[in-house]
Amino acid sequence: MSLSPVEGVALAEIESGGDAGAEKGFVGRSPGQLAWARLRRDRTAVVSGAMLLFFVVVALAVPLIEMAYGIGPREQFQNRLDGFGMPLGYAGGVTGEHWFGLEPGLGRDIFIRMVHGLRTSLFIAFAAAVITAAIGIVLGTVAGYLGGWVDAVVNWVTDLTLAMPFLIIALALTPTLALRFYGQREAVPPAFQIGVLVAIFALFGWTSTARLVRGQVIALREREFVEAARAAGAGLGHMLFRQLLPNIWAPILVSFSLAVPAYITSEAALSFIGVGLTDETPSFGRMIYRSLDYLQTDPAYVFFPGVTIFALVFAFNLFGDALRDALDPKSSR
Amino acid sequence: MRRRAAAAAGGAIALVAALGACSENTGEGTTVDTDRKQTGVIATDPKDSQGPAAEVAGAQKGGTFTIIRETPISHLDPQRTYSFAGLMASPLFARYLTTWKDDGKGGLVLVGDLAETPGTNVNNDCKVWEFKVKDGVKFEDGTPITSKEIAYGIARSFDPDLTGGPTYVQEWLADTAQYDTRWDFKANKTSLPPGLSTPDPKTLRFEFAKPRCDLPFAVSLPTTAPLKPEQDTGVNLDARPFSSGPYKVAKNQVGVQLTLDRNPHWDPKTDPVRHQYPDQFVWTFGPTADAAVNRVIADNGADQSAISFNFVPASLVARVAQDAALKQRTILSPTPSANQLVINTQRVKDLKVRQALNYAIDRDGLIKALGGQTVAQPLTTLMPPATIGYKAYDAYPAGANGNVDKAKELLGGQTPELVLGVADNTTEQQMATQLKGNLERAGFKITVRNIPDDAKLDEIKKKDNPWDLYIGNWAADWPSGASILPVLYDGRSIKAEGNSNQSYFNDAAINAEMDRILALPPAQQGPEWGKLDERIMKEHAPVVPLFVDVAYAAHGSKAGGVFISSVFGYPSFVNAHVKP
Repeated sequence: MSLSPVEGVALAEIESGGDAGAEKGFVGRSPGQLAWARLRRDRTAVVSGAMLLFFVVVALAVPLIEMAYGIGPREQFQNRLDGFGMPLGYAGGVTGEHWFGLEPGLGRDIFIRMVHGLRTSLFIAFAAAVITAAIGIVLGTVAGYLGGWVDAVVNWVTDLTLAMPFLIIALALTPTLALRFYGQREAVPPAFQIGVLVAIFALFGWTSTARLVRGQVIALREREFVEAARAAGAGLGHMLFRQLLPNIWAPILVSFSLAVPAYITSEAALSFIGVGLTDETPSFGRMIYRSLDYLQTDPAYVFFPGVTIFALVFAFNLFGDALRDALDPKSSR
Repeated sequence: MRRRAAAAAGGAIALVAALGACSENTGEGTTVDTDRKQTGVIATDPKDSQGPAAEVAGAQKGGTFTIIRETPISHLDPQRTYSFAGLMASPLFARYLTTWKDDGKGGLVLVGDLAETPGTNVNNDCKVWEFKVKDGVKFEDGTPITSKEIAYGIARSFDPDLTGGPTYVQEWLADTAQYDTRWDFKANKTSLPPGLSTPDPKTLRFEFAKPRCDLPFAVSLPTTAPLKPEQDTGVNLDARPFSSGPYKVAKNQVGVQLTLDRNPHWDPKTDPVRHQYPDQFVWTFGPTADAAVNRVIADNGADQSAISFNFVPASLVARVAQDAALKQRTILSPTPSANQLVINTQRVKDLKVRQALNYAIDRDGLIKALGGQTVAQPLTTLMPPATIGYKAYDAYPAGANGNVDKAKELLGGQTPELVLGVADNTTEQQMATQLKGNLERAGFKITVRNIPDDAKLDEIKKKDNPWDLYIGNWAADWPSGASILPVLYDGRSIKAEGNSNQSYFNDAAINAEMDRILALPPAQQGPEWGKLDERIMKEHAPVVPLFVDVAYAAHGSKAGGVFISSVFGYPSFVNAHVKP
């Protein structure tokens, strides 16, 4: 019985490690432990991972931060704006009280809105990315492994979804859904808007993952370890999730890490054509989109959200890369 | 490699921020002259209507004057012209029965354009009006303009195919809003609409069923531009209108560029307002407001004699306004376009609630949210200051930031729940956020409900619309109370859809007062409208007056003579010239 590549390399590493530390005795490590060990050794991974963790903690700790900071996301400080609605003082109104200054026009505190917006945007992006990845993985592995009419149907649905005009459907669907569930005089709660956004992203976003996974699975399905598992009488679930999936995590993780920042920016773009969130809900994407208008007149307003999204996307991509390297048994590092 | 790129990117961003941060904003800037008032009304001296127009100081002939605008002009055909860009472009190649002599500072005189005087009220009952056509007025082919061609121009505006233009004269002549069914232009091309006649080539006569005292104002709109029947190309006239003004269409690349050349047959001695300084006018369409303003500020090459028809966008205002060197190249002027927070009086029936809204409003904050004093100026009256007979008052004095306590006192502890319907465009979203915060501090509970941008206007014009508050705007076609108050607050005109009276306000005493004022001679109406304005606000408060739009235009260093029209609030080109 031949081993799957993952387990094969894992064994090889264990053996080579065994030579040096013969006195310590034989240490058995699972592929997951090995990946973890490699990840910890990678400095880029540690730093970017810490940054991601920081963002997630900030997003989760919003109520605490707000309590400590003492300013709400909807509070306005228009007395600190000049006649043009621009913040008074240096760097867009940065003071000890307002760490990142004030929004031009409405005079809301940028720091607390960013913290709140981070939570909204990260939630939307994560939820959308997880759902699209899940749909994509399931459909992709099933189609790739089974082939035949299942593959044909899944491919056909994928093509159909790709052919659907995203913007037009988003524009047509959102107000209709809002009207279906809420009357013309009712406010549409943010949770509903977020749900609709995630649903729209999920509806359209799964196709690329599905195609990627299908291709990978087709390449793997005739390999010896798969045939061996099949010959040993493994069921479909075991074949898909125990034999095939562990070998294609790397591309999935990379596409996931790229999808999250893409959803953050799409959320912003959608907010501005009237789909998705309203101005009342603090959103990171929306803030960045709006700040671009002030690039020439209030660069500080662009700076803080800009640097944050830069750091966020950068950290995501670096961590995704590092994770891929760590998971890939063929990786030289 | 990756790390170095990251460092470079981080460094670049830090540099941008440092550049932005190195200057302190102390809040000094430009201020707008708001206390100017409309003076003069209708020219009584026929000399005022005679040409030539007074020379513009420092103006000289020659050069090409460029106007940059984001979107094309919707119609060039004078009978279909109603957009602001169209109304400002049209005087260059079309003349009307009457026109406004405008000093750009609010001093307006209505003078005869093709007519010798701004109309004769024959029986002093406003039902019969006569206009005498000037001698020496010609089309671009040199043929003289007579009352027949002016009458033909008015007649073709009845054609249901030629939509888009103002409909005052047509509706008044036919005495019904469905004027095109009353008189069919296509079946009667050689005759004239009911009530319109040309007793001789020099005389044009209007006869109405009801008194129409605003006729001299209404015929200052492009509906009355003359046209020879043989030059009428129907819907194709939009591409190449037949000129009666100082310029004629030389080339029209639809949607891209419109080039106007001098019309040699235009005689300055017949024209009291227009000039013919530049060799050419070029309208260029396409660049966004940001791009156009940046171009004229950069002041390179042909852009030196260019103006951006789109105003300085909010994102650039602070930069332009704080640059002292640019002050000479910007025009800042309040416009007659008034914005209100319209209260749906069918839903908000309690006068106290409406008054509380008026006390609560924070105009200063709202204007800051919109981009400051170069975008909007506070307004407490129904009619904008640029209206004849305007009376300055504040029925609910609460200071620039509103009086929250006074509003709470009027509400007496209750919390009215109101739904604010807003378009989902950037500006109205911004306003909604501001208004919600503002009014909730004063004890209201505001629910913001988005309406798709393109549908908003149609929706709030429906009588049974489901919202309590919405943002309304009214820019009158001429600065007379008669084109504002009866249109917006006469409850008898409320229909199922398409209402201008968006507060659905209906009060018998106010309606009767409007009828009384409308029957007065035009010159006496002004102050009466001012009084009625105050009475409506004091007794009924059907809206919360918010602000008037401010025109803030930027032009190149060689563009001269442009002023903001006191009638329409957009740049006027009758005095435009290219500086040496």
